[in-house]
Amino acid sequence: MQEILQYLFSGITNGAIYAVIAVGFSMLYNSTELINFAHGEFVMLGGLGIVTLWGGSLLPLPAAFVLTVIGVAFVGFLLERVALRKVSRSQPIVLVIITIGASIFLRGIGMLIWGKDAHAIPSFTKLSPMDVFGAKLMPQSILILAIVLLVVVGLHLFYRKTLTGKAMQACAINEKAAWLSGIPSDQMVLLAFFLSAGIGAIAGIIIAPITMCGYDMGILLGLKGFCAAMLGGLGSLWGSLVGGLLLGISESLGVGYVSSSLKDAIAFLVLLLILYIRPTGILGIKEAKRF
Amino acid sequence: MKPECFKNRLYYGIFLPVIAVSGFVIDSPYYLQVLTFIGINTLLTIGLNMLMGYAGQISLGHAAFYGIGAYTTTILTVHFDFSPWAALPCTLVVTGMVAFLVGLPMLKLTGYYLGMGTLGFGMIVYVLFREWSHVTGGSSGMVGIPSLSLGPVSFSDSRNYFYLVWMIVLVCIVFCQRLIQSRVGRALRSISDSENAAKALGVDTKDLKLKIFILSALFAAMAGFLYAHLVTFISPGSFDFMVSIRMVTMVVIGGMASIWGALLGASVLTLLPECLHAFADFEMVVYGLILMLIMIFMPRGLTRGLMDIYERSVSKQI
Amino acid sequence: MSAPCLNRFEKPPLLRADSISKAFGGVQALLNVSFEVSEGTILGIIGPNGAGKTTLFNVITSAYPPDSGQLFLDRKKIQNRKVHELVRLGIARTFQNVELFENMTALENVMVGQYTQTRCGIFAAAARLPWAVAEEKQAREEAMALLSFVGIAQYAENRSGNLPFGWQRLLEIARALAAKPRLLLLDEPAAGLNAVETRRLGNLIERIRHQGVTILLVEHDMNLTMTICDRIIVLNYGKILAHGTPEEIQSNPAVMAAYLGTSEVSPLIYD
Repeated sequence: MQEILQYLFSGITNGAIYAVIAVGFSMLYNSTELINFAHGEFVMLGGLGIVTLWGGSLLPLPAAFVLTVIGVAFVGFLLERVALRKVSRSQPIVLVIITIGASIFLRGIGMLIWGKDAHAIPSFTKLSPMDVFGAKLMPQSILILAIVLLVVVGLHLFYRKTLTGKAMQACAINEKAAWLSGIPSDQMVLLAFFLSAGIGAIAGIIIAPITMCGYDMGILLGLKGFCAAMLGGLGSLWGSLVGGLLLGISESLGVGYVSSSLKDAIAFLVLLLILYIRPTGILGIKEAKRF
Repeated sequence: MKPECFKNRLYYGIFLPVIAVSGFVIDSPYYLQVLTFIGINTLLTIGLNMLMGYAGQISLGHAAFYGIGAYTTTILTVHFDFSPWAALPCTLVVTGMVAFLVGLPMLKLTGYYLGMGTLGFGMIVYVLFREWSHVTGGSSGMVGIPSLSLGPVSFSDSRNYFYLVWMIVLVCIVFCQRLIQSRVGRALRSISDSENAAKALGVDTKDLKLKIFILSALFAAMAGFLYAHLVTFISPGSFDFMVSIRMVTMVVIGGMASIWGALLGASVLTLLPECLHAFADFEMVVYGLILMLIMIFMPRGLTRGLMDIYERSVSKQI
Repeated sequence: MSAPCLNRFEKPPLLRADSISKAFGGVQALLNVSFEVSEGTILGIIGPNGAGKTTLFNVITSAYPPDSGQLFLDRKKIQNRKVHELVRLGIARTFQNVELFENMTALENVMVGQYTQTRCGIFAAAARLPWAVAEEKQAREEAMALLSFVGIAQYAENRSGNLPFGWQRLLEIARALAAKPRLLLLDEPAAGLNAVETRRLGNLIERIRHQGVTILLVEHDMNLTMTICDRIIVLNYGKILAHGTPEEIQSNPAVMAAYLGTSEVSPLIYD
């Protein structure tokens, strides 16, 4: 009982982080039908940003948090404006390759700025771990979960309640019709990149205290987030949450009961099984566009 | 003669002498090895291009087949003392079987989901290579793979190996070109334009996609076989996720649905890192930048892009 | 069941639909639709928008299965078969929104249509076996002949996506004919064509029929339908409202009511 609870806690914590990353993928896909392979690099920039700004005691935590998120969001903004805007009418695979190029570029930049070593920062809270039925629950985990819920609910409200959010969805559903009704679709795409990169940065920030941050952390995290987004169904916000948690929990149970070295294989095996049963993810409805 | 046909002859006219002469002129084993790698990567790219460019099906896990090819021949020759030439058919059969079993359920996925599915498969195979240590040697890999020889000709000589690989590449190019121009090739291309219409004309698209998936896996296995016997040492790192991504990049950079594009894409992306060593720490930044620039300015790939530039300059002169 | 469209002196029907029903959610797209098509005739299917014409087409071509009812081609059950199997049985179709293989030439499009008529596989093609080469040559000649038949032979080597719309329609028909169908389903072939092109199309359809191909035609152009069809079915709200010869349909009060929303008798053809 104690053991399984412990695995669940760590699974949920990791899963929540995967979920935030997945949300970034999903919301960008929603607005642009593009999978951004540089998304993992936004996570890396977020993590390393907080390492420098807060870990290096330049700024207090809230200021460092906001500054990092905005800074990374701006990188996302630039990626769309400089690299993708010009070719937005090309085949999707071309855009995907550009984001792959961007991810290598950003990783290179990360390496130049922060070097090849991994960095660590202390936990955000000084509270000691709680004891739940003999299993240790880290305060950081609760913080992570809270932030994740905040992001998902916030986005949900953004889509449902604000005009901008609705306009963004309209663009995603039918760009031409949205344009005809006076929605500036270019700006919507730009905004989507901005938000998605910002969300990626949030994921990087909350993961920083529980892992080592290095310039190459984005590859695997991006991959897991992508995986979670697909599991839940591309384009679905709640699907990303479900997918992330499912991925995190199956991973940590795999580590606990099978083997830690097979962790990644287990996660992807779960993915393949679910895709076999539901070819468009758990909550996915619409067909994913061709590559 | 149709212009396409003429262009094709022209490409052969450039390709064959360049290969023949460079094998003859270049003496440095290092350069010969780089050129051999281009050949191996071309095999990978041509195979993947059949699947991606012509049939319109993405695979983000093709390094798995490359790896299965390399590991199968390694295990057979090192553990079971097979001769490499006896291991080759076994390698192809094993990879083909795996591709069949994986492709059967996988190819009902479409678009990004197919990408994710194949990516997951690639990761699983990679973890298997890394963790199944008593068979695959784990993360440190396997050594002592015998080099190839045929009668008196030893392929441990880099020049001979260079010619061997490029001969095989040539055969594969001819194979694919003939295939593309045939009934099967047309059906294949029709899938990527409109799968619905293809079905309505009696093309069993599911079956055909599977066949091409297996075919491209076989190309990758062949490349894996050649790779293993070239470097005589393999480790899981050579077949990880990034290798799959690089293969896809080669296809797109060269130009989708173009066999010569595959050759060009493989050449550029194999040579690029070699040239960028000079940039030391900036290597990654420059590499990423070049990748982006090529795609931004030549979204249809290098072959089309260069051709457009050429045609534009010609029309300007007139 | 009765044989509404069958003249007892003709051959047995090529296609027989036996009380086909199909619902989408709460919408009953087709309800107990039964009809027969005799070999070598042209059957027109007309009806207001949303009457279920396209659904009927899609059920016949196995795009989706009917909820109930049966379909026979020459007494062979054909429902619930895979789409690509139907072609081998002799059913070919065109699409309402032309679905050509845009990146291939016109000739290549037709040659994809010959897929079921040829048999060269991967290895035969790669090895250029003599029989495969001969087959390819013959296929090319037949495809050219088909292009001439529909009148666009001079554009054989053009990329099909670049052809003007009217010719794309003709090309799509040539492509469907390449499968040597016994039953050809044309889904609004005249949509988007001008008057001259439509007349030419009518002529083409007649010529196809003379080659012994049975044709099922969904069309909004009343003029075309009334001139070339042997019999017509009128669908309304998923049910067969009327069936008969064009003359019978034109004077059927129920049909007018459905089309014009009144019982007032006015001619269906306006020009």
